[in-house]
Amino acid sequence: MIDPETFKQFKIVGKVLTDHRYNTSHSGNISMRAGGKILIKRRGAMLGFLEPEDIIETDLYTQDSGIMLSSTETNVHRQIYLNTDAMAVIHAHNPFCVILSLIEDEITCLDAEGIYMYRKIPVIEVDNPAGPTDAAREVPPMLKNYPIVVVRAHGVFAKGNTLYDALQNVTGAEQSAMLRYYTMLSGKPLKRDYSKEKFFSEW
Amino acid sequence: MNNKILNIDLDSKKVSEKPIEEEIFTDFLGGRGLGIKLLTDYLPKSTDPLSKLNPLIFSVGPLTGTLTPTSGRFSLVTKSPLTNTIFHSNSGGFWGPYFKRCGYDCLFIKGTLSSDNKGYILIDGYDKIEIKDAESLWGLKTSETLKKIQEMEGKNCQVLSIGPAGENLVKFSAIMNQAHRAFGRGGVGAVMGSKNIKAIVVKNGTLKFPVKNKEYMKKLAIVARDKIKVVPITSQGMALFGTAALVKVINSFGMFPVNNYQFAYTEPEKIDLVSGERLRERFLEKSEGCYNCIIRCGRMTNTGEASGKGPEYESLWALGPLIGIFELKTITHANYLCNDYGLDTMSTGATIACAMELQQKELIKHDSLTFGNKDSLCELIEQISLRKGIGNELAEGSLRFSRKYNAQDYAMQVKGMEIPAYDPRGAFGHALNYAVSSRGACHLTGFLVALEVLGAPKKINRFSVRGKSDLLYLKQNQSAVEDSLVTCKFVGYALGFEFTARFLSTLLDRKISITDLITIGERIYTLERLFNIREGFSRKDDILPKRFLETPLQDGPSKGRVVPLDDLIDEYYKVRNWDENGIPTDSLLEKLSLKRLI
Repeated sequence: MIDPETFKQFKIVGKVLTDHRYNTSHSGNISMRAGGKILIKRRGAMLGFLEPEDIIETDLYTQDSGIMLSSTETNVHRQIYLNTDAMAVIHAHNPFCVILSLIEDEITCLDAEGIYMYRKIPVIEVDNPAGPTDAAREVPPMLKNYPIVVVRAHGVFAKGNTLYDALQNVTGAEQSAMLRYYTMLSGKPLKRDYSKEKFFSEW
Repeated sequence: MNNKILNIDLDSKKVSEKPIEEEIFTDFLGGRGLGIKLLTDYLPKSTDPLSKLNPLIFSVGPLTGTLTPTSGRFSLVTKSPLTNTIFHSNSGGFWGPYFKRCGYDCLFIKGTLSSDNKGYILIDGYDKIEIKDAESLWGLKTSETLKKIQEMEGKNCQVLSIGPAGENLVKFSAIMNQAHRAFGRGGVGAVMGSKNIKAIVVKNGTLKFPVKNKEYMKKLAIVARDKIKVVPITSQGMALFGTAALVKVINSFGMFPVNNYQFAYTEPEKIDLVSGERLRERFLEKSEGCYNCIIRCGRMTNTGEASGKGPEYESLWALGPLIGIFELKTITHANYLCNDYGLDTMSTGATIACAMELQQKELIKHDSLTFGNKDSLCELIEQISLRKGIGNELAEGSLRFSRKYNAQDYAMQVKGMEIPAYDPRGAFGHALNYAVSSRGACHLTGFLVALEVLGAPKKINRFSVRGKSDLLYLKQNQSAVEDSLVTCKFVGYALGFEFTARFLSTLLDRKISITDLITIGERIYTLERLFNIREGFSRKDDILPKRFLETPLQDGPSKGRVVPLDDLIDEYYKVRNWDENGIPTDSLLEKLSLKRLI
């Protein structure tokens, strides 16, 4: 059983993601590393209303029977942990990130906060966007160099040192994507495009 | 479908064919539904299940042997000698598709061979149906029988056979499929044994079944397979660890019964000893799948001293922790032995567990019957199969055994059938299914553990009461449809019922909705109820053992819980449109076009 303080982090992060409408009632998953294990949301549980038994423990290094209960994307989380410096991972279906992934190959940040945090957010494409197999292969290499990546037509995977840190990456990226989308929608040219000055394309 | 029943009358040794009316397929689909319809039309009231009047009805369904994933299954219906209820069971592998390709949908076996004339039935797709001599096979274990028959009929035949347990009319003997899959529960092996039939063999099935919209069927199959590959339960959990993946999962909810349900939670270090992971690490040689299945949950194992199939989750539990044994090699060997003797592993373990508790309570005196005694397990299995010593008493099942010692409360059963590996105090919807299932305590006819524990497709509160009856009603009806089509229940973790409706609609080239299917399921389930009512069953039999109603669990995540059964049953009868005594109402029968059975 998960300890109350750790559970509290899961509960808060799950609630924020749901309140921000980054997920449907049951979608999305969040996890953290813990002593050779992964603590991860249970499949079929509601992210915004987590209970202690909704946090499943599964082995960090190998598949085990925890997969019977844990999130569909457990193996993506596992591969991220095994291949990057992530200590916590969030997967969400941020609407503006998904929209831009449908029409762009990367999301270039226009706002100061986004420029400071991310500069650009990579978009990757897989053959089966709903399935975890392709994502488990393609997402970890990107998260070696970026805090967050968008899987085209699906959603984001963000890493962090803690769940709250990963949460900031999810919300920050979505904020930048939203601002970029509305700017594009206005149809007006940028007065000053910082991305051209800061070598974003080489980032 | 072939629209044909193959009738075999063992009394006269006559073989005949009979067409199946279109209306029966429309109303009952095939498989379990077809068998239930044929049995209720045929069998007189109060027939002794081991008399020659009781038929064995094997049926395939419209989806059997098609592109539909996991469509290798087929069904068996008869009256159970263990429970005296109507009984259905199904099995996977390849026998069903082979049989269908021989040109039949149903095999209806009635009568009996004389006791000095043991036989086996050969169904050859090259238009040859024979009852052949089986004197040399009688007494053989199922693996030996398979080997002998393959020598006689060729390697490519598919064999259903009984072992010594079926021959000796053990009340929970099974019919084994290729010696390692089972038509389990309920004692169907004894029904076959009572007919002096050792085996049923199919070969040379060559027929193909045209599908009008084959391209759409293929596309549907691809989408379905993709979904199966995505869902972790089907693509990883079952594939890597078999059904034994459930050991640690069910234990983590405090629902994994130990020592005849006296406990339901085991410390992590101890449960690891019998986990699916441990089984994979120590004994797994390869995984195995049925016809057109990519899940491949079957375990081919080798302990270094013996090899065989399994154990599956329920078998591992019943021959292990339920009787206090946490030693995987002993459990695996006991499982091999049950397969070879043709015993249902669940009822074998649960009956031994009941006897062990009687010994613990000093109600009987039999030194080998102590919890955790791994040295005597294999000997007990042999004694049961051969009806020797205490085995002769245990061969009657836990209810009859415990009654003999006036200790019925220690038999963990419903309607005479032993309860499977999920303590009902940990999941109330599942508890309700045990109590009301038409074939006795059954986990398959309405597997609410999927929602209450596994969260598939969505998690529900396992201790809530309101609404559980509605969900069970839906699941039981769906299950009746799956058993009639016939497909594997595991595919349900990945594919919604909309896939079932689409596959069937495409195959039959007419629109069949989910609602249509649920109504068919309700018709099948209600007809089973009508049969049981005619045989004298009523609300008094929709009950759980006292332990689950009165004794709270002492430890683990389900601590303090007992099942509020009366509340659950009241609501369930209303949902089913049965009266307060559990009898289907006239309006329900009218809706389903059913008549009461006389």
